[in-house]
Amino acid sequence: MSGTFEPVAPEIIEQSDDRMVLSMGPQHPSTHGVLQVVLGIEGETVTTAEPEIGYLHTGIEKTAENLFWTQAGTVIERMDYLSPLSNALCYILAVEKLLGITDKIPKRAQQIRVLLCELSRIASHCVWLGTHGIDLGAISIFWYSFDIRENILDLIEASGGARMHPNYIRIGGLNGDLPEGFLEKLDALIAKFPQRMKELRQLLQANPIWQDRTVDVGRLTAQEAISWGVGGANLRATGVAYDVRCAFPYSGYEEYDFKVPTRTEGDAYARFIVRLEEMEESMSICAQVGKKLVGGPVNYDDPKLVQPPKETIAISMEALIHHFKIVSEGIRVPPGDVYQSVEGPRGELGYYVVSNGNNKPWRVRTRPASLYNLQVLKKMAPGNFIADLVVMIGSLDPVFGEVDR
Amino acid sequence: MPSSQVPPLGSTAIDPTSARPPIDDAEIIRITPDQLRATLQDFKSQGMTMLLDIGGVDYLARSPRFDVVYHLLALPLGAASIAEVGKPRRVRVLVGVEADATNVPTIVDLWPNADWAEREIYDLFGITFEGHPDMRRIQMPDDWEGYPLRKDYAPRGPAAERTPRPAFANKSNVPAGTPPAAAVSEALQREIAQARKGLDT
Repeated sequence: MSGTFEPVAPEIIEQSDDRMVLSMGPQHPSTHGVLQVVLGIEGETVTTAEPEIGYLHTGIEKTAENLFWTQAGTVIERMDYLSPLSNALCYILAVEKLLGITDKIPKRAQQIRVLLCELSRIASHCVWLGTHGIDLGAISIFWYSFDIRENILDLIEASGGARMHPNYIRIGGLNGDLPEGFLEKLDALIAKFPQRMKELRQLLQANPIWQDRTVDVGRLTAQEAISWGVGGANLRATGVAYDVRCAFPYSGYEEYDFKVPTRTEGDAYARFIVRLEEMEESMSICAQVGKKLVGGPVNYDDPKLVQPPKETIAISMEALIHHFKIVSEGIRVPPGDVYQSVEGPRGELGYYVVSNGNNKPWRVRTRPASLYNLQVLKKMAPGNFIADLVVMIGSLDPVFGEVDR
Repeated sequence: MPSSQVPPLGSTAIDPTSARPPIDDAEIIRITPDQLRATLQDFKSQGMTMLLDIGGVDYLARSPRFDVVYHLLALPLGAASIAEVGKPRRVRVLVGVEADATNVPTIVDLWPNADWAEREIYDLFGITFEGHPDMRRIQMPDDWEGYPLRKDYAPRGPAAERTPRPAFANKSNVPAGTPPAAAVSEALQREIAQARKGLDT
């Protein structure tokens, strides 16, 4: 404490005539969860910003090491809780690579995986847009975007049984086929979506207040974004068209026709536009999946890896034994290490998975996209106003379940 | 502080990374900590512009005990279209770290995003990065003891740190360590004696 007067509020860490060290968060409403930023400020201008993370550390990586391969997906979904399906997909793809069954996953399962991941990307962007809007004083946008999200969560609930963490994507395929009437619901959403996006755009895109708050705020160059490991829309808003779905296609993404939206400004407004366009592209992928969806099984046919259908357990002894074995001791995965990445809503989401041949993962390391996106705040914030810091945090779209894990 | 509750190993491969040929599209290189900076500098000048991630793995029974894993990506700077990005080169650098020399040079000056990644490995594995400007814990509280992602760290943490379980959560209402009642003990002795007799005849 080296100030000349007593601090007036507990948030003030240090104070002198021209400089103040202020703690923003971890309970600040605009920090999207539990982020603390230790700010050095001179007047209204931020001179240093040091994000302090770890308030939501739940040891998911350690927990995953102590669960069976088949169970670990459950906790891994809880890392990025806004798009659990992307996390699950990435982990499952890594395990399938270790098992050597990547190309044996039925086509229908892959298509449904793509469909649900794109839906959850839109749902995740809806939360980002709603909360980003609230941060900037645009309250009504929240209800418009959560209306779309609500419809998507209904679809996810229909497929997997839960709205947030369905644990629907499983090793070797899916936990059951889509229910009847799913595609009709999807079609209704696809039909309604363009109008909703139009409303979102009308509310914000040409809104002079919105532009005042976001244009030229939190600017990043392509060079900076790459050297800080920034990903997803934050990277594409600087003009780098890197998308894992195109660079390292997985689950049959090469079959779908979609654009990778980019902008060159690299500011908060550019990120906003890129994400809006991304939502539309994702919905177009969903429509393509809906049209192309093939019939057939949704699971790789190997009872040593995939649980048999529930209805066969009562009538088949083998099915009962396989079910019992998978539930009681899990599956064994051949030893090896693998890095698998997918394009999550926040950029390259990667899993470095190591197996030693046992029924539990030896190590599950996440490449948390949010962590690297948030870290660039140290570079981005100095020289800006405190009020703009809220815009920057919002536009980087960190999810603290993923930052802290 | 490592707990006495060491999780059972039951492993089949002590060094899984060398158990089979690479199964993903990354080039894999294994080096020692003293080669690290030169190697990564070399990769950077070859156009590996992005440091994707740094991860740690504890192999416990292997020598070197730890692996620090660097994932690099060659993302061209001015790539404004999907075709220009193409399929970028990916490199995985595995750095073996001995249990008694947990010290690795930092690469914060090469890629600034190594900052938090290295702090996280320090926090969870206890591997220090020489030359790092701010080597503090990042996820765990500053006064935490032990390194949670090490394999000899019990999943629920050191026993002393654990919240005691409420009485109703225990299977029996008899407190642990209570000797069995005399009648129970005698019955048990009788049973054992009878079993012995059965074995002898």
